[in-house]
Amino acid sequence: MSSQDPFDSALDLLRRLSPKNITNNLSTLVALSPELTEDLLSAIDVPLQISRCKKTGRDYLLCDYNRDSDSYRSPWSNEFDPPLEDGTVPSDRVRQLEIRANEAFDVYRELYYEGGVSSVYFWNLDDGFAGVVLFKKSVEGAAGVKGTWDSIHVFEAVDRARIAHYKLTSTVILNLVSESGSLGELDLSGNMTRQTEQDLTVENDDSHIPNIGRLVEEMELKMRNLLQEVYFGKAKDIVGDLRSVGSLSEAQKERSVHAEMISKMAGGSK
Amino acid sequence: MDTQEKIETTSAFVLDAPPGELTEVLEDIKNLTYDTPSVLPGLTPALTQYNESQLTLTKLPGSSESVIVSSFNKLPDGRYFDPASSTSFDFDHQSRKASNPQSHVLEGENAELIKNLLRDLAPHVAEHYPTAAAFSAYPTPSSDEVTIVITGSKYSPSNFWNGRWRSIYTLSSNTLTGSILVDVHYYEDGNVRLQTNKKVDEELGGSSSREVVKAIAGVEKRYQEELNRAFLGLSEGAFKGLRRQLPVTRQKVEWEKISGYRVGQDIGGGSSRR
Repeated sequence: MSSQDPFDSALDLLRRLSPKNITNNLSTLVALSPELTEDLLSAIDVPLQISRCKKTGRDYLLCDYNRDSDSYRSPWSNEFDPPLEDGTVPSDRVRQLEIRANEAFDVYRELYYEGGVSSVYFWNLDDGFAGVVLFKKSVEGAAGVKGTWDSIHVFEAVDRARIAHYKLTSTVILNLVSESGSLGELDLSGNMTRQTEQDLTVENDDSHIPNIGRLVEEMELKMRNLLQEVYFGKAKDIVGDLRSVGSLSEAQKERSVHAEMISKMAGGSK
Repeated sequence: MDTQEKIETTSAFVLDAPPGELTEVLEDIKNLTYDTPSVLPGLTPALTQYNESQLTLTKLPGSSESVIVSSFNKLPDGRYFDPASSTSFDFDHQSRKASNPQSHVLEGENAELIKNLLRDLAPHVAEHYPTAAAFSAYPTPSSDEVTIVITGSKYSPSNFWNGRWRSIYTLSSNTLTGSILVDVHYYEDGNVRLQTNKKVDEELGGSSSREVVKAIAGVEKRYQEELNRAFLGLSEGAFKGLRRQLPVTRQKVEWEKISGYRVGQDIGGGSSRR
């Protein structure tokens, strides 16, 4: 290991320890190294909690970005729970964008997730604004299968003349467990993170929602494919590398017969 | 946190280390507790538990064969023994090195059965465990029972993955019980872990070592096929149920018209599904 920086060591540790325990491991690391608290909480995504907006009765998602002290802001009412005298809220302009983004991603959620909960939080930057788009969905299937998907898309939109520079960092946390007599216990859990940056045209404030929408939609498509490949392709292949279902000597024989055939065919075609 | 709390906390990290990544996890712990140097020596109990439960492999001085370290082949004085080479040895759980080998010949009523099991397990392990594989059979405190362990690991840190298969069985007169444990870690741009635990409880057709190995081969094959089906089942089931690849309309969202969508009607799919 080259790193001596405790923060890098904490990140490395969280990349290695069981991802299903990430919430616990994060709080343990913070207790172990309190000086890393702020950096770790902003760098590490954990599964989202759901709360119900007291004013609108709608569910919303909790994360570090809608938290102020011990209160969380509802995207539907813009109010903090528990109530906060002077909690940080976005400017009027950015709040208007946030309201429209919540409406748009609520439609997107229904189209792609057919359920679950979405929340979008925006905040002001000196030269633009930033935000986070969140989705959470859980399923409970037949045969003791449970699954949870958490999407956390953090972006910055920096204003330039007639364009905006968007930077998006997306994490998906996907946890699956299965328990049945024939299979026994299976836990397939984890998280993957990807980043992208793009300059997109901005006519006026109305342009931001489609721009962010397409960025998030593209990213989620890419990440869903990646998760499918890693969780169900790569993991299965690795199990096959640990233990071969078939006989290794038979497989070796087949390979040499195959190689012989290829070389004969190559010889015959001369 | 005081030193004792730090040791307890970081011991949990040790026990959670993925296959083949203990060195890295220890290095991280060292960096995070640099101001409390007494933490690392305090991890020995956790390292002992980890090395034993992971069926850690080590090489005896002057030998190229791997031998297993586990709770099943631990002697009362803390040394370990290997029936195949009739050797006992010291094992340093911090450095994971074996030393001081001495002759240790198995005696007792199961010595013959263990010898036969080792002979008949060898081809099974050679045929199915391509890398970092080892197996053994050990006497237990009960004269009616023998423990059988099989392990195979593969480490590919340059491709950001590592994995281990462990089979741990207890053989009594006519039954085979135990667990098969698979642990896979994939960590390129993320952290994905597969951990399984399959309980085994098989009636045996006969009590000869050949019958026992045949039963083990059958149990392991059936489980691996079941596990392969589970990947497909999760992909086609829960994964699809969590998020669609495309909306029901099979078209991406028309973001300019998104305020015109009416949830539950224009977008097909469900009316009030949550």
